Amino acid sequence: MAKVQVLNVAVLDNPSPFGNPFQFEVTFECMEDLPEDLEWKIIYVGSAESEEYDQTLDSVLVGPVPAGRHMFVFQADAPNTGLIPESDAVGVTVVLITCTYRGQEFIRIGYYVNNEYMDTELRENPPLKPDYGQLQRNILASNPRVTRFHINWEGCAEKMEDSENVDPAPNAMLPPSCTPGKAPPLGLVPDNSMDCL
Amino acid sequence: MKLLKPSWVNHNGKPIFSVDIHPDGTKFATGGQGEDSGKVVIWNMAPVLREEDEKNENIPKLLCQMDNHLACVNCVRWSNNGLYLASGGDDKLVMVWKRAAFIGPSTVFGSSSKLANVEQWRCVMILRNHTGDVMDVAWSPHDVWLASCSVDNTIAIWNARKFPEIVMTLKGHTGLVKGLTWDPVGKYIASQADDHSLKVWRTMDWQLETNITKPFSECGGTTHVLRLSWSPDGQYLVSAHAMNNSGPTAQIIERDGWKTNMDFVGHRKAVTVVKFNPKIFKKKQKNGSTPKPSCPYCCCAVGSKDRSLSVWLTSLKRPLVVIHDLFDKSIMDITWTLNGLGLLVCSMDGTVAFLDFSQDELGDPLNEEEKNAIHQNIYGKSLAITMGSQLSSTIIDNPEMLKYQQERQGNQNPNGAQASGPEHQTPKLTNVLNGESLEDIRKNLLKKQVETRTADGRRRITPLCIAQLDTGDFSPALFNSVPILPGSSASTQLTPQISSDSSTANSLVYMYVTSYFPALSQPMEPMKALDSRFTERSKATPGVTSVPLTIGITPLDRVKDSSSVKEPKVKDETSSDSEDKIMAKPLSMAKRKGEMEGAEVVEKRKKGRPRKDSFIRTHVMSVRIKDKTKEPSRLITPVAVLKLPTPSIQKSFSTQVSTDAIAYLEVENEVSVVSGARLSQLKWSRDGREWDTLLTSRITIATGSSDIVAVACEDRTLSVFTTCGRRLIPSIMLPAPLAALHCSGHFVMVLMASATLSVWDVQKQTALVKNESLNPILSGTDATVSQSFLTRQGVAVVSLSNGKTYCFNSSLETWNLIADKQDSLVQCADFRNCVSSQDALGSMGPLALTQGRNLSAGRLASRLSSTPHHLQQGMTLAFLEKQLASALILLSASEYRHWLLIYARFLVNEGYELRLRELCQDLLGPVHKSSSSSWEPTVLGLRKRDLLTEVLPVIGQNLRFQRLFTEYQDQLELLRLK
Repeated sequence: MAKVQVLNVAVLDNPSPFGNPFQFEVTFECMEDLPEDLEWKIIYVGSAESEEYDQTLDSVLVGPVPAGRHMFVFQADAPNTGLIPESDAVGVTVVLITCTYRGQEFIRIGYYVNNEYMDTELRENPPLKPDYGQLQRNILASNPRVTRFHINWEGCAEKMEDSENVDPAPNAMLPPSCTPGKAPPLGLVPDNSMDCL
Repeated sequence: MKLLKPSWVNHNGKPIFSVDIHPDGTKFATGGQGEDSGKVVIWNMAPVLREEDEKNENIPKLLCQMDNHLACVNCVRWSNNGLYLASGGDDKLVMVWKRAAFIGPSTVFGSSSKLANVEQWRCVMILRNHTGDVMDVAWSPHDVWLASCSVDNTIAIWNARKFPEIVMTLKGHTGLVKGLTWDPVGKYIASQADDHSLKVWRTMDWQLETNITKPFSECGGTTHVLRLSWSPDGQYLVSAHAMNNSGPTAQIIERDGWKTNMDFVGHRKAVTVVKFNPKIFKKKQKNGSTPKPSCPYCCCAVGSKDRSLSVWLTSLKRPLVVIHDLFDKSIMDITWTLNGLGLLVCSMDGTVAFLDFSQDELGDPLNEEEKNAIHQNIYGKSLAITMGSQLSSTIIDNPEMLKYQQERQGNQNPNGAQASGPEHQTPKLTNVLNGESLEDIRKNLLKKQVETRTADGRRRITPLCIAQLDTGDFSPALFNSVPILPGSSASTQLTPQISSDSSTANSLVYMYVTSYFPALSQPMEPMKALDSRFTERSKATPGVTSVPLTIGITPLDRVKDSSSVKEPKVKDETSSDSEDKIMAKPLSMAKRKGEMEGAEVVEKRKKGRPRKDSFIRTHVMSVRIKDKTKEPSRLITPVAVLKLPTPSIQKSFSTQVSTDAIAYLEVENEVSVVSGARLSQLKWSRDGREWDTLLTSRITIATGSSDIVAVACEDRTLSVFTTCGRRLIPSIMLPAPLAALHCSGHFVMVLMASATLSVWDVQKQTALVKNESLNPILSGTDATVSQSFLTRQGVAVVSLSNGKTYCFNSSLETWNLIADKQDSLVQCADFRNCVSSQDALGSMGPLALTQGRNLSAGRLASRLSSTPHHLQQGMTLAFLEKQLASALILLSASEYRHWLLIYARFLVNEGYELRLRELCQDLLGPVHKSSSSSWEPTVLGLRKRDLLTEVLPVIGQNLRFQRLFTEYQDQLELLRLK
């Protein structure tokens, strides 16, 4: 079973101007001491149309994590407006918080985000080029969408095969580059980290 | 007989594989398949038992559900004491659950279900050993062991006192092991497997006692489970699926010679589960008829793949009742209520059924005493150490006793009726974090949390530990926590009134969404498109190396970094409960000293987590002594002149001193040179108040207590200051260099390199111990001093590396052995039945400190359950008396009281009347004053008669001692009136 359970995520500084950093206060519980750090990420979905516009706002290691209940605030800068398609700037999108352990994602928390002009005038007649200074970001904090994935917490590749009959599906979704210990060399960046650049 | 199928007990149509009623009868657990995981659900029993409770919407039906098992749960079993629930599943794991102590319902974060968990059960232990699905789990009598069996053909015996320790893995089955049952006497465990065999194993040496194959040789086809059962009198073992003349049966195996002459026949398909009623019955005596002595008999329920259930009495040739077509699919598990009159059955079809019998149908259940008498008769020992819960039939001939018993009952009932009753007593959790409220912490969390950069430039946050796992103390405030809204947030009209009430959350969402999209045409489209993003895992979850974004550190971050670096001290305070504090402290010390090693840090972690400030101090002390013993050349040798290693002089160091608020002592040696004299500085700070003073010699050790600060210098002088920095006495010239120095209250203890000990009371300016040699405890061994400390009462305690701990008693002028890790008595004493949950608090003190917080007492006790009872009794008695005496000599009042109550409970349980009487007599003292009496009315500052008032209710729990109870109750009353 999952060694880490997310108990609560409180969205801080919400609603706020578009340019403000994102702040999530995460409370989680860990069943036993984790030998490795957890990696948390905030991903801003720039456009519903394509993952191409996903931006990883920040990624942070959290550790050491002894058994017990813990909390921390994850703050990340607002998305780079240059990477957001202009047509998608205003309206509803999604921000994701993911957590991975030993390179395997085990929880994904998603929130709807509504970006809207505070000014009624602008709201009715939005400028062609979005005016990010006037936009307000409102995260639908009361309705998180949580997806949990089964991962192999012991982390060793052999054991992963061993636990096949537990739940092969999530493991099957892992690309081979993800198997621990076989991380790509530094120069070789996986395809989808393009969106981070 | 009444039959009920509570439709609300279900796993949304998924199969239910196991059901078990809690020993207190107020709840039951089911285990089976969940949505995409295994599922364990805890249900309220009351709505099953009473229709009015079922209809009453204020009475919760579902108490808690746990989705932690990755795959189907095959078995759920409550421990006999009701504190734990064990579950085993297809994910090869056994999980042990315990109820968490905090109040208030909570939902699973992010789950849409409105059903809140009324009770919080949390997984306290995951037992990993099996390499295949776990099919059955079983707690041994008295919860000494937990057994689990698996399709990996093995049975694991776990030490239930020390999870996840495995006592033994029983190998021998050549097929999937699908059922387990313990002998109620504790001598055997039986298992049934697909390999056409039933095996009985001895608990004494875990070897095979017998292998029964004949009744199973014909068994074809497989059943999902083979849950066998042992009768409550221990005389019969009944198997699941067996065959006789090509008909399915449940085989009866006699304990005596493991004979297989009888069976339960009649089911048309394989028997999946057999469960004996926990009660032994005797014939119901009709009014008027002459009471004939009738043979006691047992009652047994049998469930089968043919979907029918039969209930048998061993006194009848035919089943008492057979119920067909109770379910649509195979019966999977059966559980009886403790009173023996109710029965829950679950099926693969995902439903459960409840059968309610009357005493007319089953007979009169024997009370515990009669049951014990039967056991005593057959096995020569009483199995149950009754805590007086089933003594109802004994005549109570004293009104006080009656009142007391009634009060007890009264206290027990609300436990079941309203689940929220007892929790109110649990300590408020907001104090967990050193008095800082959780709200305060949350407000400053971002600023306070420690953030560092790893070598490759990544941000790394050290999470703030807000609760430890094993304490059971969790903050209720955390659940349903509300974001802290900035003051300005109310300015926008769209800001919803965010409520912590989960029941309103859904309607809120609705309002929220509608107000957002009043007239927009496009929103629904992207919503759908976005929805998939919530659940889809990113195609690649990049490893640690693949995040280029973080390389660019913004200037803002840098500022944050530097500010967080300044704050480690603050952080330490806020998280004194967390383990990383223990890590952080020595590490920071190590940096300054530059000579401590990582290995020591690791070792300290093993010692356990000091939770109280006072522990922290001794902790630090022990480190220092270790530090000194590092040089092997200076090791103590068993010669006449002993020599203890002395600490080396450091340029500067700091110590944390435990007082009400934590104080810090900082030492800087040779801080300045004034006209040739080298001055050393001692700095003390607490809560922003601080003072410093200068000494002319280099400081080797500095320590303090809530009242004083003591400093030893290189020139063999010892200086003592008040916590305001005023010197109390002129420098004390020590006869030898100092090895260790401790303060506690007004007491100062010095351990000199010449292996002599002195203790002074600096307030009264007297010596309690004068240059006492450690020779008596060190000579003849090659042990070294591993730890020393001073109790609040000024008793010096010295622990040696051979596991023995001594204290020096100044009135006897002797060294007294108070703890010995190798003492076999400690390991064999079994008094756990006498420890009540609230006792845990009283057990903290110097004695517990020397013996280790999780006293290994009783570690081997479980092994001895098959050795003569009286031997173990004797060992336990000796151990408890030793503990009492040790607490007395350590002047540790709270521990004395703690052990006294355990001792009294033990005497009551085991029936030591003479000792009990002596104890009471000493506590009561002479009723009539006489000048010649040497009786002291107090012990360690506790009034003996108050102690007696506490002990008497314990005595009252056993009706055997009602005379004794009455006698002393009356005398106490008499004294009170005087």
